[in-house]
Amino acid sequence: MAISELSYSPWSPVLWLLAFVVVMIMAYFFRRRGQKKYKKGTEQTRIFLCGEEVPEARQRHIRAHNVYWGFFKTMKEYYDANIKAHTGIINDYIIWFIALVSITAVILFIV
Amino acid sequence: MSLNSFKRALWAYHINTGSCNGCDIEILAVLTPRYDVERFGIMLVGSPRHADVLLVTGPVTRQMEPRLKRVYEQTPDPKVVMVIGNCGIEGGVFYESYNLVGPIDQIIPVDVYIPGCPPRPEAIIEGVVKTWVKLEKTMEQRVA
Repeated sequence: MAISELSYSPWSPVLWLLAFVVVMIMAYFFRRRGQKKYKKGTEQTRIFLCGEEVPEARQRHIRAHNVYWGFFKTMKEYYDANIKAHTGIINDYIIWFIALVSITAVILFIV
Repeated sequence: MSLNSFKRALWAYHINTGSCNGCDIEILAVLTPRYDVERFGIMLVGSPRHADVLLVTGPVTRQMEPRLKRVYEQTPDPKVVMVIGNCGIEGGVFYESYNLVGPIDQIIPVDVYIPGCPPRPEAIIEGVVKTWVKLEKTMEQRVA
């Protein structure tokens, strides 16, 4: 079966598989031409960070929270108020619930 | 001298250990169109992991000592270290300063010294040629 007889679509799995194989062969070819003389277990195979000591993996990892830094900074006042309201005590939440239901009832039935 | 064993372009990594930048500017001059060593395949690389030669400038401040050692250790073998400028050779104008641990050959082994404050680009190029010859001899010995 010739490739050209397959359904005309870039989503053809056979074409994607072929492309993947070609890319893997190219990657293998380039990798084989690379430097083989690094001594394993020495600084030669460790991460280069401009001569700096490389911290442990978990310390150099950028936490997802950092991505939202600007967002949290901008809305700091809003979040501070909300965090105070979220006490974690169920009684407080029930009071909030009753208060909001009361306000909603007033709006719906009286106003 | 023909190159029989070290048959590839010579890549160099430059590290400044506290230099005033005079020598660094001269290294840059070597790469400009006037001298243009890249036509010989000699070029600066961004990582010692890719380098054959370390170009070291500066008298080595205390802060730079562990970094210099680490960069040296991260350079694959065979490697050649080239000190450029008086400061790296014997301290230069910073001689006997309280915050120095150099000169460089007291911290890492040095193969080629290029004196000058700063050395002229021609001197740096001659030094690079010497390192190339040294690498060639090292590779020949390894093969033999």
